Amino acid sequence: MGDEANREEYIVQMKKIDKVYSNGVAANQGVDFNLKKGEIHALMGENGAGKSTLMKMLFGMEQPTSGEIVINGESTVLSSPSVAIAKGIGMVHQHFMLVPSLSVAENVVLGMVPKKGLFIDKEKAVEITRQNAEKYNLHVEPEMRVADIPVGMKQKVEILKALVRGARILILDEPTAVLTAQETEELFRELTALKKEGYTVVFISHKLNEIKEITDRITIMRNGRSMGVYETKDVSKEDISRLMVGRDVILNVQKDAAKPTDVVLKVRNLEYVNEWNKKMLDKVSFDVRKGEILGIAGVEGNGQKELIDMLFNLNVPDAGEATVNGKSVIGKPQAKIREMGVSLVPEDRMLYGIAAQASIEENVISDRCAKKELNKGPLFHMGAIHKLSEQLVKDYTVLCKSPAQQVGMLSGGNIQKVVVAREFSNDPSLILADQPTRGIDVGATEFIRKKLVELSRSGIAVLLVSADLAEVMELSDSLIVMHNGRIVAYFQDTGTLSDEEMGEYMLGLKEQTPEEIRRVCHD
Amino acid sequence: MTKKRQLIFSLVRGALAILIALLVAMLLIFISADGNSFGQRLSATAEAMKQLLVGPLFRINAQGIKFEGKRLADIFAAMIPTIFTGLSVCVMFAANQFNLGAEGGIMLGAFSSALVAIYVPLPKGLHALACILVGGAVTGVVMLIPALLKVKLNVSEMVCSLMLNYIIMYIIKYLMNTAYADKSKGQIQTYPFLNSSKIPALTQASIFTSSKLSWGIVIAALTVAAMGFFMYRSRWGYQIRMIGINQDFAKYSGMKVGFVIVLSQVLGGFLAGAGGGIEMLGRYPTFGWSALPGYGWTGITIAILAGNNPCFVPLAAFFLAYLGKGCDMMATYANVPTQLIAIVQGVIFLFFAAERFLSKYRQSLVVKTANEEIAAKMALAGGGGSLPQAGASGSQDSVKEGGKKDE
Ligand SMILES: Nc1ncnc2c1ncn2[C@@H]1O[C@H](COP(=O)(O)OP(=O)(O)OP(=O)(O)O)[C@@H](O)[C@H]1O
Ligand SMILES: [Mg+2]
Repeated sequence: MGDEANREEYIVQMKKIDKVYSNGVAANQGVDFNLKKGEIHALMGENGAGKSTLMKMLFGMEQPTSGEIVINGESTVLSSPSVAIAKGIGMVHQHFMLVPSLSVAENVVLGMVPKKGLFIDKEKAVEITRQNAEKYNLHVEPEMRVADIPVGMKQKVEILKALVRGARILILDEPTAVLTAQETEELFRELTALKKEGYTVVFISHKLNEIKEITDRITIMRNGRSMGVYETKDVSKEDISRLMVGRDVILNVQKDAAKPTDVVLKVRNLEYVNEWNKKMLDKVSFDVRKGEILGIAGVEGNGQKELIDMLFNLNVPDAGEATVNGKSVIGKPQAKIREMGVSLVPEDRMLYGIAAQASIEENVISDRCAKKELNKGPLFHMGAIHKLSEQLVKDYTVLCKSPAQQVGMLSGGNIQKVVVAREFSNDPSLILADQPTRGIDVGATEFIRKKLVELSRSGIAVLLVSADLAEVMELSDSLIVMHNGRIVAYFQDTGTLSDEEMGEYMLGLKEQTPEEIRRVCHD
Repeated sequence: MTKKRQLIFSLVRGALAILIALLVAMLLIFISADGNSFGQRLSATAEAMKQLLVGPLFRINAQGIKFEGKRLADIFAAMIPTIFTGLSVCVMFAANQFNLGAEGGIMLGAFSSALVAIYVPLPKGLHALACILVGGAVTGVVMLIPALLKVKLNVSEMVCSLMLNYIIMYIIKYLMNTAYADKSKGQIQTYPFLNSSKIPALTQASIFTSSKLSWGIVIAALTVAAMGFFMYRSRWGYQIRMIGINQDFAKYSGMKVGFVIVLSQVLGGFLAGAGGGIEMLGRYPTFGWSALPGYGWTGITIAILAGNNPCFVPLAAFFLAYLGKGCDMMATYANVPTQLIAIVQGVIFLFFAAERFLSKYRQSLVVKTANEEIAAKMALAGGGGSLPQAGASGSQDSVKEGGKKDE
């Protein structure tokens, strides 16, 4: 604080920024935002508050309707991302901007490709990626295809991409939404190191702990306006959530003990070796019963994604069986799987979860468009459809002008709410929830967690995967830990577990006996 | 944006697009006009433009300008086949299937209908219906080729359907020359259609004195309405559109993606084929097409202009038919070369389809509306409008100070 000279050094000033989108949404209204050199600055606010919008303008992806952007004391028009990149600004977007069919390395060097004659020098690309991954301590597999890597790794590829381009001002839009605690720790260590070297970081997150841990200052947004700038050390978590939401938020979900009954999902000896000969699933067996939430804990990339994929036939295992209420789901078309009452909240909402150019209404009926209630003879029963979508938008507090609004124009968290609303409301008997609260603000997270508990208590089986260990520990009735494609531990009761103990299992330092693990199969 | 502003914007945009295109067209016509002096060229250009703009509906002569129902009827008549191909392309493109088979499809439909019309005697009324249905069905079945190849083997439907057009054309030409040729005639054609199969002309209406315009236009209008409901109010159309937007999403949602993709192309084929039958029976005494008629390509233009929405197909078809007629008039009465006409059409199309054209003006309207909404909300909230702030005022002050010094 003492260093007067530095304190006045704003490297970025955004003054009185207004942004009205083409559909008439005023996403930013008179927002002032500034960055000091070498700080980590948090940008916080509820879903749809306008955080991503503000940052997209700083990255040249969107143009402010009015207002001024000053960079290094110079008034600047950022007409496109390439202008912003030239000014040393890099952005990691809330939604991945990777080319799925290309390799990790090719994605990292995209737009600055090393050439060998006329051809892309793939080896060089891999080399660059490897070096930078090492330098910044972001572990990725340069040769794998982006389509095949888990979201956590995709996130790291995105961060690498920005760093490789020489960004000195780094905008991270919810980088930790899909990272596990360990990965987040690693990232924080890295960010702190970057900060020491004079890099400036904007950090968007809905996780208050993280904000308190790593940031220097906080700008809080609400309803498209700035609620002020604060020194992080001067405000408590409660202050922050009150400023964001306007009320106190309790994130502790109350739940009574589960009374599990019949087995719904039965998984036996699933095995899968991926294209790179890595064993992703190794004799995975477990049961999920009616009325219980079974959580899967584990560091990303230890088989969770593959497991969920198999259960929804987005991939086919090499061996093993999985049944829902006695009927096999392996290799069955999704239409059949849905008929059995299986719902899936997918880890990447943009890929499977939504049709971006369709309306909210059209997105919430996608799994039930043939249902009797929504049809009148050969035509849709528009009245019933309007009613359903209005109800869901209201229940799940989707911030939008009307259900006729395009889903792609919603904020990230609100898109997630649309997906969750659909998957929770189709009368399922089994919910596969993969990162259900990804990118959702504290208020809505509270709601979704409550809803999940409520659904399970009403007799639905829930399989929960989340990178957020606290979420898994809190919501799950019982819990399995995956490491290297294997189940290494099963805890019947999550109440007594400590984070440290979990950590040891997750990192593979400890393992239960096969007998202990076998208890998760309830035959 | 309010509804009113939206409408104003659409009108202004449309008018301006046409205006600019016309100016370009005028320039081109002027450059290529006959005449030695500037004045002569100018008057030639003016004459050509008059024919292009008002010629499609009015007779222009020394006495002045007179409305002519026959010309309007001609425009409507020209719209019949293109409405059907337009609808056909809409359905296929909406599912993100770039099937270009409407061109061969309409020819195949016309030919199959013709065969039924010639060789299968049936009572009046029923006969025409049977012809049309057979034309549609045959084409629908043929579209299974690109559709199934796409779904089962992931063969590009675009390449496949494009090739299919020529295969269809040559097979039909071969059949016309051999098995079904009317050898008593000097040109290559089939035997005449039985009278029972003909779609009657719409001459009852007094202003339409054109014999070219048949009841087909009424069938076309009904089909447009039906397709509008199908695409936007039925679960099938809905699935087609969702698959077009995000196929993975559709699959994950439990839709039968392969089936719907096949359905969209078969239906597209049916529409093109039925259109061919209607065109044939309403307009010609016998089948004499010896080349692809071009309606399928026009259908693609129409579908793009209509944004794959069946409800806008008639508008787009009218626009293109009017333009076509105007260009005909220009070629006939004003001596403008046909190549130039193709250029003029292209220019007009370009401005119409350019999405970002006038987007700045649109944005200003949007901003205006949003500001009004915000102001209205503020007024409702009691004029003040300052949102509550809490806590940590100390640090905030220091930040504000910093900001001031900077300014
Ligand atoms: N491309 C777009 N077109 C139209 N409106 C948009 C677009 N993107 C965002 N909006 C709207 O702008 C508002 C702010 O969105 P923004 O994405 O900035 O929110 P956010 O603070 O990042 O929220 P989240 O935490 O959910 O990511 C929302 O109401 C959203 O509906
Ligand atoms: Mg966002």
